[in-house]
Amino acid sequence: MKHSVSRRMLAALAAVTLTVGAMPLSVHADEPYDVYNYNYLGEAVPSQAGYVAERAVSGIDLGTAAFSAPSDLCKDTDDCFYIADTGNNRIVKTDSEFQQVLKIYDTFTMPDGTQTKLNHPKGIYISPDTGLLYIADSDNARALIADADGMVQQVITKPDSPVYDQQLTFLPQKILCDNAGNVYIVLGNTTKGAAMFGADGAFIGYYGANTVKRTASAILNHFWNSHASQEERKYRVRNAPSPFDNFDIDTEKGFIFTSTSSGGSSMDAVKKVNPEGHNLFSYLSGFVWGDEFSTWYGGTSYQTKIVDIDIGDDQSINCLDTATGRVFQYDEEANLLFIMGTIGDQLGGFTQGGVSAVETKGAGCENIYVLDSMKGTVTIFSQTDFGETVHRATALYNDGKYAEALSPWLEVLKYDGSYRRAYIGVSSAYYNMGRYKESMDYAKKADASNRYNRAFAKYRAQFLKAHLTEILVGIVLLIVLVSVGKRIFRKRKKKPNA
Amino acid sequence: MMDLTQPQWVKHVIFHPFEGYEDLRWKKGGTLKYTAVIIFALFVALIAWDRWCGFQFRPLPDVLFSVVPYLMKSLVYFGAWCVGNWAVCTLLDGEGTLKNITIYSSYALIPYIVCTFVNVVLSHLLVTDEAVFFYTIHYIGLLWTALLLFNAVKAVHQYSITKTVAAIALTICAMLIILFLAVLFLSLFQKVYVFFYSLYTEIVYRIQV
Repeated sequence: MKHSVSRRMLAALAAVTLTVGAMPLSVHADEPYDVYNYNYLGEAVPSQAGYVAERAVSGIDLGTAAFSAPSDLCKDTDDCFYIADTGNNRIVKTDSEFQQVLKIYDTFTMPDGTQTKLNHPKGIYISPDTGLLYIADSDNARALIADADGMVQQVITKPDSPVYDQQLTFLPQKILCDNAGNVYIVLGNTTKGAAMFGADGAFIGYYGANTVKRTASAILNHFWNSHASQEERKYRVRNAPSPFDNFDIDTEKGFIFTSTSSGGSSMDAVKKVNPEGHNLFSYLSGFVWGDEFSTWYGGTSYQTKIVDIDIGDDQSINCLDTATGRVFQYDEEANLLFIMGTIGDQLGGFTQGGVSAVETKGAGCENIYVLDSMKGTVTIFSQTDFGETVHRATALYNDGKYAEALSPWLEVLKYDGSYRRAYIGVSSAYYNMGRYKESMDYAKKADASNRYNRAFAKYRAQFLKAHLTEILVGIVLLIVLVSVGKRIFRKRKKKPNA
Repeated sequence: MMDLTQPQWVKHVIFHPFEGYEDLRWKKGGTLKYTAVIIFALFVALIAWDRWCGFQFRPLPDVLFSVVPYLMKSLVYFGAWCVGNWAVCTLLDGEGTLKNITIYSSYALIPYIVCTFVNVVLSHLLVTDEAVFFYTIHYIGLLWTALLLFNAVKAVHQYSITKTVAAIALTICAMLIILFLAVLFLSLFQKVYVFFYSLYTEIVYRIQV
């Protein structure tokens, strides 16, 4: 009788756990892909979604012609979006919610009063300081700087500087400007870096070029090249770095982040370039941006190819991978936060090799926008509660507010018990609060032996301070007991002999 | 003189590295029962070193645990050492029997095992900055065991020093050959097993059809 009751209770309990356990799964069902993250061993593990695809917007949805091979997306300070609709030779400005078109730029008024049309513009950037439009008007071999009314302020064409190889045509692909008004243009036909122009439009030089990796083949090639004659050298392979093909600027701190899709050099895939042209991410040697292993579809392997990069207002680094249609979001310290997107026809899926631009919105990076040039749509991802919590915790943690980050990290662990950075965050919080035992526990769960060691050292010191008398008395007692015991033992041993 | 019990023999051998084994041989001390205990202790010590260390010293991520490498490192290596040494030294006019080689070699492992256990305990008390204590103990154990093992071979076969060195070098070669043959043998057996298994499935399939 007693057995059957307990068994029934067990069954009820199991039913409750099953229903409760099944609840979070229903959230997962929304995505047409498996949400995953990488653990510290570089293995893909299932995770909770930080973003979900909300809707996709085409040109027709916005009440205008369908986008034709749109290649860039940018946002101004009022959160209005500008789409470089390359195939239709126009720039489309929409409102912040992608509900309606605010303005279409296809003709501009030059300073001398003549009208000019765009020809396959591939890059668009809005200066947050001046609100000017910077347009890489690719097939016209020029860059336009215009105000919001379409009045061109400045035209940048092929520089006649001796530094610029005059045999090359001017092929602007992407464009940026910094706080000082300097203009950076990614060119489609040089490996020397972005062309940099002063605020007055004068060519300054190249900026932020990738470097040739010192691989064995590169060194060997260099050796043979240096021994070849001038004539032979013409026919030999040159050591040239793969050029970066997109960039974004961290408007707050002024760093330019470049992304390189070709070359497979994982080091140069994403760079954080300071004004001097040095890569501040060079300390991350061996770090792999994007997927850790190349993925396989139908017998072909695809390696991560980062085509666009966006720095969110919370300093997050969002990388768009065109090979797998995924967005990889990192925090400012290059810790992977979330992965979203896939190749596919559903909402949240993109065409293979079709995605061209990524953009973010909001102080906490609440929305991510992905432009698919083949589908001609902008897909809007919005943050989940889990994503919001992780962002809040990360922001506090990266600001050094470890104790304040404790409750959001604990909340993160309720959503996803395998989120390693949350364990590290909790461990750091407890460490800063002086709760070393708990800090040790969480460091252990995070498999972070250095953090465990740090907390353990403090814990040991605390323990010794608190229990010094007991320990000393214990040692003295032990010595006395041992010596007395020895004497008794010896006496007993002697007795039978005597 | 020298009428020691078995536990006293262990103590005598360990703390008299140079004449201990000679005495042991002269008085025909040592027992295989202790060898079994020591090898088991070695097995436990190797696991403890990797798994029960203080977390600040733990080199391996807690993901997978397999008992096979530990069995390999304790039982198989030790067995290969004894058999290899016996095979080599029988040819080199050694006087040791397989039983004596096994007993003497196992006694030599005790310092290493003890130091490992001491380290496992210490690792819960030290931080990584103080790891030097840890490594000192580890190397003391290792050197002590090496010294004992050398003298064990020397005493059991009644060799000179140079001949002992040569015998140990040849023993290591013999161990490698034994392990190589073992791997070959294993893979051969696996192939044979697969062959017979496929034969079996084939026959079963034919019967059913």
